[in-house]
Amino acid sequence: MTKLLAFAGLLGLAIAAPSAQAHHSFAMFDRTREVTVNGTVREFQWSNPHAYIQLTSRNASGEAVEWSLEMGSPMYLYARGWRPRTLRPGTQVRIRINPLRNGSPGGVVLDVTGADGTAIGTNQ
Amino acid sequence: MIRASHFAAIAALALLTGPALAQPADRVAQFAQLPHWPGYWVSEDQAGTTITGMAPAVTSSNASTSANFSGIMVLRGDGAAWNEEGQRRRTELRAAAGGRKALGWGYPMMMNCATPLAFTITPEVTVITNAYNETRYIYTDGRAMPAKDDMWPTTWGTSVGHWEGNTLVIETRMVKNPSEFFHGSPPYSEEAVYAERIRLDGDRLTMEMTVTDPITLSAPFTASVSWVRDQGFDRMVQVDWDNDRTGSEDGLNTIELETVGD
Repeated sequence: MTKLLAFAGLLGLAIAAPSAQAHHSFAMFDRTREVTVNGTVREFQWSNPHAYIQLTSRNASGEAVEWSLEMGSPMYLYARGWRPRTLRPGTQVRIRINPLRNGSPGGVVLDVTGADGTAIGTNQ
Repeated sequence: MIRASHFAAIAALALLTGPALAQPADRVAQFAQLPHWPGYWVSEDQAGTTITGMAPAVTSSNASTSANFSGIMVLRGDGAAWNEEGQRRRTELRAAAGGRKALGWGYPMMMNCATPLAFTITPEVTVITNAYNETRYIYTDGRAMPAKDDMWPTTWGTSVGHWEGNTLVIETRMVKNPSEFFHGSPPYSEEAVYAERIRLDGDRLTMEMTVTDPITLSAPFTASVSWVRDQGFDRMVQVDWDNDRTGSEDGLNTIELETVGD
């Protein structure tokens, strides 16, 4: 119950204050759920105010789906050991995320591993 | 002719370098009297922000929400004494905020976020810079604030300051409504006056800010911000703010998607 109240408080704050922490709120992400997406990096957007991993994955029907996976700003990624070339197009990865609440193929990145399970970058 | 050109070159060089080189000992002494705040400083409540872009206070699941969010972006002025006009502006701002693109932090929010700040202190001016090419010049050469008739409102305002011991005392005026630049900013008017006192306290930089605004506030708003040197920053890299993909859907923000084939 405490956790529920805390989350409700977080959500309320985030909606009421669109810039609660970064330049936008994080209420769009369902932080109670973790999803792992497997796919191929199409593009690593090393950009402000957020970096994005554009990941091409396959759905249950075998159709290509592009996921837009958000990270923090490049300055912070750099401080945590990431670099613009940490992810290159064509790399096979597994990305653990908190998904978007609206069900669209997107989310916030928690960590990234290669196809062999080796950690890529850091999750700090 | 050759002598004349040599003379002109030497004279020009003297003009360019003369004042700085004329009395080096005095110059060294001037700098020696000033504080030195090297490093890259982030708002203390947001230090430790992870690759998610979230601070520990946000990601901590067992913490008290109200307690842990109290210091985050305090300069938004949520607790300020907004008058009728201030309330009207805030309501209008919230109604239009969904999916609005930001251009950066602007002032005063650049002083209260996870984006690192650097302070370059000289006798005449202190330059405060963040990683989005946002820069404040705090003139400490004894000049006065420009006259009211010379008002030139800008996103970062005009600042004059002086040193009281190791405390940098700043007055900033002529700031455009901050929420025009960034929708998470307080909607102060161009008449607002921002008073800051910044000093080094051990390993933390601390600031007291008081905002007075006859247009939007019924009483001065005072807030405290502290900064620490977060780990991992080794230089100030300037990166454009050119990929704001925050959208809005059903009252909640979302990511503007890119689809296969884009």
